[in-house]
This record gives sequence, structure tokens and C-alpha cells, in this order.
Amino acid sequence: MSNDNIIYPSVHSFSNLSLSDSSRTGFGYNPYKGPSSNAITPETSNILINKKTVSLTPTSFDSIYDRNILKKVPEISLSSFSFLFCEIVNWTRNNSKGIQDLEQRLNTLGYQIGQRFLELVKTRERIKYSKREIKILEILQFIHGAFWKSIFGKTANELEKSQDIENEYMIIDDIPLVSKFISVPKDYGNLSCSAFTAGIIEGALDSACFPATVTAHSVPKEGLPLRTVFLIKFDESLYTRENLRFN
Amino acid sequence: MSKTTRYSGDEMWKNNVEKIQNSELFTLTYGSVVSQLCRDFNNNYQEVNQQLDRMGYNIGMRLIEEFLAKTGAQRCQTFKETAEMISKVGFKIFLNIQPTVTNWTQDGKTFSLVLNENPLADFVELPMGPDNRICRDLWYSQVLCGVLRGALQMVQLDVDVWFVKDVLRGDDQTELRLRLNKFLKDEVPAGED
Amino acid sequence: MSSYYFVIIGTRDNPIYELEFSSFRSGVSGIQVPGKSQFSPSVKEILPFISHSALDIIEDAQWSTNSFNLGKIDSFYGLMINAFISQGNIKYVLCYDANGSGTNGSSSPSLNKNDENSIKQFFTEANELYVKCLLNPFYSVNNAITSPDFDHRMKLLARKYL
Repeated sequence: MSNDNIIYPSVHSFSNLSLSDSSRTGFGYNPYKGPSSNAITPETSNILINKKTVSLTPTSFDSIYDRNILKKVPEISLSSFSFLFCEIVNWTRNNSKGIQDLEQRLNTLGYQIGQRFLELVKTRERIKYSKREIKILEILQFIHGAFWKSIFGKTANELEKSQDIENEYMIIDDIPLVSKFISVPKDYGNLSCSAFTAGIIEGALDSACFPATVTAHSVPKEGLPLRTVFLIKFDESLYTRENLRFN
Repeated sequence: MSKTTRYSGDEMWKNNVEKIQNSELFTLTYGSVVSQLCRDFNNNYQEVNQQLDRMGYNIGMRLIEEFLAKTGAQRCQTFKETAEMISKVGFKIFLNIQPTVTNWTQDGKTFSLVLNENPLADFVELPMGPDNRICRDLWYSQVLCGVLRGALQMVQLDVDVWFVKDVLRGDDQTELRLRLNKFLKDEVPAGED
Repeated sequence: MSSYYFVIIGTRDNPIYELEFSSFRSGVSGIQVPGKSQFSPSVKEILPFISHSALDIIEDAQWSTNSFNLGKIDSFYGLMINAFISQGNIKYVLCYDANGSGTNGSSSPSLNKNDENSIKQFFTEANELYVKCLLNPFYSVNNAITSPDFDHRMKLLARKYL
């Protein structure tokens, strides 16, 4: 069959399926084929109705889908995370060409985490009734409060709106977790390893349809040498939407 | 054995004193790193394993200092004691898990650590593909091997650490194997970058 | 025998997972394979288009209400469309035909409410499954969900609630 007329699906996956793959077990969606790839057949129907256990992937018997994400999260020592993070900064530094590049890479690492945490925290919240955030102020308050608390164990310290510039907001953390054990040498100037946390915020905001760029700046105050300000700059299009919908 | 039981009691207490936080941040950060590495090396999983090992080695070299500072442990007299110390105290303090020590060889130089749970690999499912290369080549928690190797190197033990089984690959348990090669005499090992 | 078409749509309006099935709750004979969707081929063809056109309505509803479950948002010649949206802008759409099962014609309001409730629970648990899938570092947002485990669990959910 020629490959000329095949319309490829708009999604892709790590596992590189193709049109000719069909599932051995009858389970498993194949985006190249669409719903016919995972339609219910007599065998699968039998499995489902009789609730038989099947081994579909190497980890089927201890599947990730069995874990309960709603229960309380286990704890781990802070030093483990710090060691891991220090090594990440080290590895990223070796791979990057300058301060900007380093911050960008840390931001990318945090971005994926932010996307995941957003969905996770919201899903957990729903046991006690919660709502979807649809306004800028709402989502910022969510991030400043429940989101920050879930990740770092405490809420962020302040949430401010910039006086001079129109669409800028700031979240301030007095003692950011990630930079606690890192000291930046002088030749790195104003590098902030909180670029990682900035990435987390950016991932969460982008995911929730509030496109923004987030940067981290170190603004020490007396007694708080690690105080970090996260500058959140929203896109113009957001303001159009807010004005149309809510004003 | 009294030495280790004293530490076991201590480390339960120490576990309360440790600053503790959300383990999901840790898990997701590590996952982010592994997937980034897979993309950087273009799915060459051998390279990914090596890089994870190197990172673990650097971590281990620093981690041992904190371990010694926190526990005030004395030098272990035998490799068996080292094994007990690693499994009962080390893993407990840093990862809040307790692996079991099994499968000693006759000469007492090699043993296995069996992890009943692995916080690094929570929520990980290796992607299934037609060739399943990832299942064959990638040891997801390879960083642990590096950490153990680096940490023990700093206490003058030259060991080899490698994974034997991993539940992510479908085996029944996650098993690491450590082999003592030799005792080092005051050499300063070069850091690996 | 009501048939269902369930699709999870990512942030770029692309389907990342699809499933066709029919209600498992039946004592009605004559169905050879319980659970297999009974859509006719003409209907099957237009299902993706129907869900896609529902996206406009979903986007509108998305910014008007704070809730996750959007309920019944549209209907198309006897096909009802329910939707659910998550904080991360992932949309879950369920199209089903309104044929009741072989009960007496009267579709009492309470029956409808039960259906709404079970659809809502179905969506909630589907969202949980999605979040678990998302936590996998090898899965990125907007990738297709090809995991057979996920498929299996989703079908079990379908059996449980619909």
C-alpha cells in the first residue's frame, strides 16, 4: 500500500506506532487508525465483563493507574532534592552556552513539572469542592496559595501587581526551596536558580490558558538574602479576553 | 549488630528532624531530567544510562559528607556492616525507604539490594513500542548506582554497582548489585564531569 | 441500546484518545458483543466532526463558568453531546444517541438525572486516569495516549458507569 495518501494523525507519541501496528491484546489506542484500533471485540468484551486480570504492559500488575493520587503524599528529605537539583544545575551548566541559556534550560525543565502539578493539585482539590479558575486574579491567587503550598509546603509570601507596567504581576517568595543550598559564584552575575521555579509557574499558567513568561529575580532584603521575585508577564491577548468576558 | 541497631533507632528520630517536603517534586524533577536526557541523546539509552551514572557519582561524593555528619557513623569494619549501614540508615535518611540486603556471595564481596519501593520511579511507565528498545536498554534509576559508587569511593571502597532487575521492565522486583573490588589507600579520586 | 463515542481532546484541538462503545448494562438479547458500539457507518463517519464542532461551544462555556463538568452542551439529530473540561484545558467529550434501552417509552426526569450523574462520575474518573497518565515523564501534553493499560482502565470505567 503506497504511503502517499495516508493522512498522519496530528498527535505523536513516544512509542512510535504506525498504521500497520495492531494491538496483540486488543487494548491500546492507535492514533493512526482511530477508534477502530481499540474497538471492543468479543475477546475484550469478555475480559471486561468478567473482570479478568490481563497483563498488557510490563508493569501491568503494578500499574501506575492503580496508584491513588488522592491520598496523602509521602515525604522525602530536603537534602535529597537539594543534591539532585545541584547536580542538575551542574549538568545544565556544562551543556549551556551562557547565563541566559542556562536559565532557559532550567525553565524548560520546570515547565513540564508545572503542567503536571497544575492538573494534579486541581484534581486533588476536587474532593472538597473546588472550581476551575478562569480569571487572571483567580489563577494567580491559586498559584500563590494552594499550588505553592502543595509543592513547597508553604504558601508564597506576597502577590503584587506592578504599578508602572500594565500586565505584570509579581509573586514573591522569601525563602525559595530550590536555591537554599546553592551559592552563585560572582562570574555568573545575576543568575537565579529559581529559573527552575519560574518554569514551574510558566508551565502551570500556559497549561491553564493564561499564556505568560515568567522570570525569576533575586531581590534580597535585610534578613532575607534569598528573597526571590517571580515576574509574570501575561500576553496581550489575555487582556482582550478578560475585558470581553468579565467587564 | 549493636552498632547498627543503635543507628536504626537514631535514624528514625533523625527522619523526624530532617526537613521534609513533597516527594512528588523530587520524583517529577528526576523524571523531567530523564526524559530530557532521552531527547538530548536521541534515544540512545546506553548514553543516557552513563550520563545518569555520572550525575549520580557527583551526587554521591557530596552526599557521603552529609551522611557522616548526620549519623556520626564510625568506619565499618566489614563489608557486611557497610551493607547494613547503606540499607538501614542511608536509604532511610535520604529516600525514606528500606531496601533488603540479600544474595551474598561466598566470599562476602558481592550482595544485592532489593528495593520494595522506588520513589524515583513513581508513576513511570516505559513507553511500549514495536521494538521495545527502551525496555531493553534503559535503567531508569541508574542514578542510584552512581550515588552508591561515588559515596563509597569517598570512604575508600572501590565498588561496582549495577542494576539486575527493575519492575519498570516487568521484573518482579527492583534489584541492585554491589561488588567490592578493593580498598583504596588515600587516593583522591578525580571528579567525573 | 445506547452507543457512546468518547474522545479526549488536547489543547490544540487534536484528539489524543478515542473510544467507541455501547452500554454494557443490558439484558437485551440480540446484541452479539456486549459493549461493542452500535453506531451505523454513516453515523460513525461524522462522529469526529460532531465532537470537533462542539469545541466552539465548549470554548464559550469554558470562560463563562467555574465548574469542570459542562453537562449537556449540544445535540445533533438525536445525538447528545456532554463535555467536561479540566484546569489544564483538556476536553473530554461524550457523544451518545438518545435511544433508551428497552424500557417503556417514558423517560422520566429522574432517569435523566441519573444518567447525568453517572456521566459526570465517568468524566471525573476519566480525568483522574488522564492525570495519572500525565505524571509519566515519558508522556508529554498533547501526545496520543497509546498505553494499553489506559485503554483497559477506560473501558472498565465505561462498563462501570454507562
